[in-house]
Amino acid sequence: MDPVYHALSLYKKRCFEECVSTCTELLDKNPFDQAVWILKMKALTEQLYVDDLEAEEEGIAEAFMDNETIAESARPGTSLKNPGTSQGGSTQGYRPWTQTGRPVSGVVRPGTQTARPGTMEQALRTPRTSKTARPSTSQSARTIRLGTASMLSEPGGPFIQLSRINLGNYASKPALAKPLFLYILYHENNIRHALQLAVLATQACEFKDWWWKVQLGKCYYSLGLMRESEQQFRSALRQHQCVETFLRLGRVYIRLDQPLSALDVCRTGLEYFPKEVTLLTEIARIFEGLNNMMMSVKYYREIVTEDSTNVEAIACIGMHHFYTDQPEMALRFYRRLLQMGLYNAELFNNLGLCCFYAQQYDMTLSCFQHALSLAKDDDVADIWYNIGLIAIGVGDTRLAGQCLRLAISSDSAHAPAYNNLGVLELRKGRLNEARAFFQAAASLAPYLFEPYFNHSALSHKMGDLQASYIVIQKALEAYPNHIPSQELLRALEKHFTVI
Amino acid sequence: MAVPVFTLQLNSKILPGRVTIGKYDGSHSCLTAATTADKERLSPVLIHSPHRRLGPTSQITGATTWSQVNKEISLLSVNRNVSALAAGRLHPELEQDILVVGTQSSVLAYNVESNKDLFYKEVADGANVIVVGNLSGYENPLALVGGNCSIQGFDYKGNDPYWTVSGDNVRSLALLDYDLDGENELIVGSDDFDLRVFKEDVMVGETSETEVATILAPLRGSKMAYALANGTVGVYNKLHRVWRVKSKNRAVAVLSYDIDGDGVEELVTGWSNGKIDARNSRTGEVVFKDNFNCSIAGLADGDYRLEGRSQLICCSVDGEVRGYDSSRLGTLIEGNVHQEAVRDLLQKKQALLMELKNYESNTRSSGFTGGQNLNAGIIPAKTSLQTTVSINMGTKSKGPHVELCLTTNNETIIRAVLVFAEGIFAGETHVVHPHDEELSSTLKVALFPPRDVPLDIHIKALVGLPRTEQFHVFELTRHLPRFAMYTLITTTAPLQQEQPQNFVSFFISERIQRVILWVNQNFLLSSELEAEASGSSLSLSFTALRDGSLLNISMHPAGRVVVATPNMTLAGDLVQSLASFLNLSNLQVTAEFPQELAHLEEWLEKVSNLQEVRIQLGADLAHRAGLVRNLIVRAEDARLLPDLKSMRDWHSQLKEVNDDLINSYNIRCSNHNELLDILKQINLLIQKAARLRVGQSKADVVNLSRTALQSNNLHSLIKIVRTGEA
Repeated sequence: MDPVYHALSLYKKRCFEECVSTCTELLDKNPFDQAVWILKMKALTEQLYVDDLEAEEEGIAEAFMDNETIAESARPGTSLKNPGTSQGGSTQGYRPWTQTGRPVSGVVRPGTQTARPGTMEQALRTPRTSKTARPSTSQSARTIRLGTASMLSEPGGPFIQLSRINLGNYASKPALAKPLFLYILYHENNIRHALQLAVLATQACEFKDWWWKVQLGKCYYSLGLMRESEQQFRSALRQHQCVETFLRLGRVYIRLDQPLSALDVCRTGLEYFPKEVTLLTEIARIFEGLNNMMMSVKYYREIVTEDSTNVEAIACIGMHHFYTDQPEMALRFYRRLLQMGLYNAELFNNLGLCCFYAQQYDMTLSCFQHALSLAKDDDVADIWYNIGLIAIGVGDTRLAGQCLRLAISSDSAHAPAYNNLGVLELRKGRLNEARAFFQAAASLAPYLFEPYFNHSALSHKMGDLQASYIVIQKALEAYPNHIPSQELLRALEKHFTVI
Repeated sequence: MAVPVFTLQLNSKILPGRVTIGKYDGSHSCLTAATTADKERLSPVLIHSPHRRLGPTSQITGATTWSQVNKEISLLSVNRNVSALAAGRLHPELEQDILVVGTQSSVLAYNVESNKDLFYKEVADGANVIVVGNLSGYENPLALVGGNCSIQGFDYKGNDPYWTVSGDNVRSLALLDYDLDGENELIVGSDDFDLRVFKEDVMVGETSETEVATILAPLRGSKMAYALANGTVGVYNKLHRVWRVKSKNRAVAVLSYDIDGDGVEELVTGWSNGKIDARNSRTGEVVFKDNFNCSIAGLADGDYRLEGRSQLICCSVDGEVRGYDSSRLGTLIEGNVHQEAVRDLLQKKQALLMELKNYESNTRSSGFTGGQNLNAGIIPAKTSLQTTVSINMGTKSKGPHVELCLTTNNETIIRAVLVFAEGIFAGETHVVHPHDEELSSTLKVALFPPRDVPLDIHIKALVGLPRTEQFHVFELTRHLPRFAMYTLITTTAPLQQEQPQNFVSFFISERIQRVILWVNQNFLLSSELEAEASGSSLSLSFTALRDGSLLNISMHPAGRVVVATPNMTLAGDLVQSLASFLNLSNLQVTAEFPQELAHLEEWLEKVSNLQEVRIQLGADLAHRAGLVRNLIVRAEDARLLPDLKSMRDWHSQLKEVNDDLINSYNIRCSNHNELLDILKQINLLIQKAARLRVGQSKADVVNLSRTALQSNNLHSLIKIVRTGEA
């Protein structure tokens, strides 16, 4: 068999390593065989290709040092920075919030977990477990962590010496330039060289190739030059409409903190590609980011009618039903996920909770048993916490206490567990222990209002009005519309004025 | 003095001239101003929304994002130095004002209410001034951006349907219904002291001022207020000046607002010394004034108290805001009027008394001594002052100039002369005051008109007998023709033979006599030219006094006119002047300026080189900035882990990268400036080329050049400059 054909077939079968080694042999014989050279480049790129749209995550440095956003305090509902301000969104009262200061989402995506704390110090101090670790800059982010070719030393030196090749030569040959560009961008992760090549290539084709404009935009985006990247994407869209370009332009606006512009872009995209699932997903995610759950779920529903196996959409709709007091409906969605072959701890945990609230107690514990048997170290704490919750629900405080302690033993920073333990201690009348638990919970998770409120209520009961007053203000800071907190504050203020 | 209806403090320093007001939600006015840079941001734009406190919508929902101290103020960070701000209804379908922010390299149209960009555009020429509004001939409202030598108009989609060039850097813009046809024309004030009126992209009017017009503001009808960099403020009706006043201070903002409630708008001016005054737009009479502690930053009118009518809002540099309206002014004016009247009458009385005293003393002296009236300054009744304007080729110490020669017809002497002419002298007035021993009956004043504009010279001469103490003042006005600084060469024969390299040629269907008439009117000639017999051709040569270059004007009987001069601007001036004299509505011209065109080629090549380098530099800069960010995070990380050794390592690396960053920034800066210069030159050349043509051909040159520039088509551009056609 012709070895080039063999290599090609290996590439098509996605046996990239074999393909690369075959190509290397061929290139040893004839270093000037361009076809093989390109094939090797493509194989190397494919090996390390990362879906940079899905895996994108804003780094710590970008979050604190980039100020591309225009409005520092935008009107409620027009910014992703302050989701709590949107009108009619869900509140902490019935849907718990994550560290990010936004409601828990149906699925975990990069960015839904990491916080936007006030200062860099806070960001760096947040415990760096596998869950919360966050790239320091987005340039160094997942693209490097997931595809680490640029850090591996290759035997016999690197395949292409970037500093030595004359980019101008390649730029005028589109067949060579495009794979070379992708190689530089994804394999070498050298954005500067990639950009240089893209600039030369787009000039060589007299600015007529939209593909190069998208690539230029990508380069500018990862360099943090949002406005330049916006221009390139827009100009590319004028020539050729492509879903990827719409998504990338939308991302530019998200980085500029203009979610409404991003929504506009996605909607324009939907005009060209009606019912396109990726665009719909993007819209749903933006609405979720804006804390506009109704719209978000509306789009997720649309996705499900198009693609009935979309895990993200099903999970998000299920979650929405669960937190809007329809556990039976949520159960149906989660069961659908189970039918689709998803088999993990999180799903069983959610099923268990749904069963409990839908009053199918017989199923509850078996679900949690499944969950525990499937759980990895990361999420076992959450499952114990939820079992504890159910134990409280059925009134078995001893079991509850044990479960919560187990949760803490597997994740010592599990703030809600501390809070619930505090409540249990309170019921037993051990006030000082209870207070210690509340304090621990509050210091671990300042974004939760429950520990503060509990602490304040306890202090109020114990007669420590000053502490109660201080703590209740923190509770209101976390959740300004919490009625019991407001009432407590009013009562305290009345006390103080009487005194 | 007037009592403001409200005062408030914005607590930040405001940049002068960058204040505007907009109804971003469609109904509530929000004062918007660019503030000075602070530690974190470069000149953030501040938006003050009083209705957030006053209005019913102020209930707090969720974690409020408005700053806790002052809920009315929100900030927009632009990250560049804001050079111009404007707000207006740019989007034809939205009932909201759009904020347009200009910086030295970009224009951003931003919907404040929904936190959305309308568009963001790079403008290489910078944005010195922005106005938003409707322009005749365009369906959608435009944001007109005046930059270096060019004006661009953007619609809400970010397209730029409007583009034209102006003579120099644009400093001020105004939209005004100049010809009262119900549609707005664009008025442009630029660095070459000119005011130009554009209807669509055709220039319909032009006038020269004595300084750069820094602010233009439309008044009612075809009236327009202007302010110059030298402290002059005045009103134009079309292009006729109605009145003007001059002050030591500089006007920072000019606005029309009906402060006294009489239904006619007054001209409100904010000065750099913190003074604010309102003047009657017909007479210039002051009707209202107040003082701030420091310079005014801007004026705006808007309904700031939600009471259904607008107030005059004044904003000072240190963030103090005062609002005025007619309600508090009524009684104050009453008192003022009486006082003013009394003061006026007192002044008149004083003047009359003085005059009377003079007459008395005169009659007394003549009664006493008859003919020997040396001390009394009476001069012979027949004394007259003769003035001649001629060209003096100058000496070594004093270059060639236009000479104004004043002579009396008897033994009286000229003690001093005050010459008042716009734009010739710094400060407009020139006083010649010879030493006592040099006094004579003749006095010569050298004039160096810097530009080719027709001038009226107002002369005041103090004439009296020698050793007298009192002088008579002779006032007279002389007209200086437009091309005074060119002298006719009479010995023409040998010079004619050379073929000029730089020339423009065109055909006119006029008699030679008419052209001669034009030459007589516009040049300073020792004697009027006579028309020769019909059928012969006309050929004249001039020398420019400024640089000694040659100017040939020749006309063949068939109507072909050739103007040969190396100076393209001069050629343009001559063509424009001739065309307006002959009432030509359209004139197509062939131009040959090989040197200028050679420059053009060079410039275009440079531009493409510079732009290439610029992209690379930008990427480089961004890359380094990324490194810096990364290093800062790492260093901070090390600090929090108390790992001082690696912290020091990170910081020393940081310093190196930072130095590199600053270096490459400086390189990029110089690259940018070079690019700006060249772009300006190109724009200027296009403008000069356009000035060589008249009417539609002129507009065509601009539009065609733009298309050629966009496609980077050098040959087409050269052809356009030469022939006026693509």
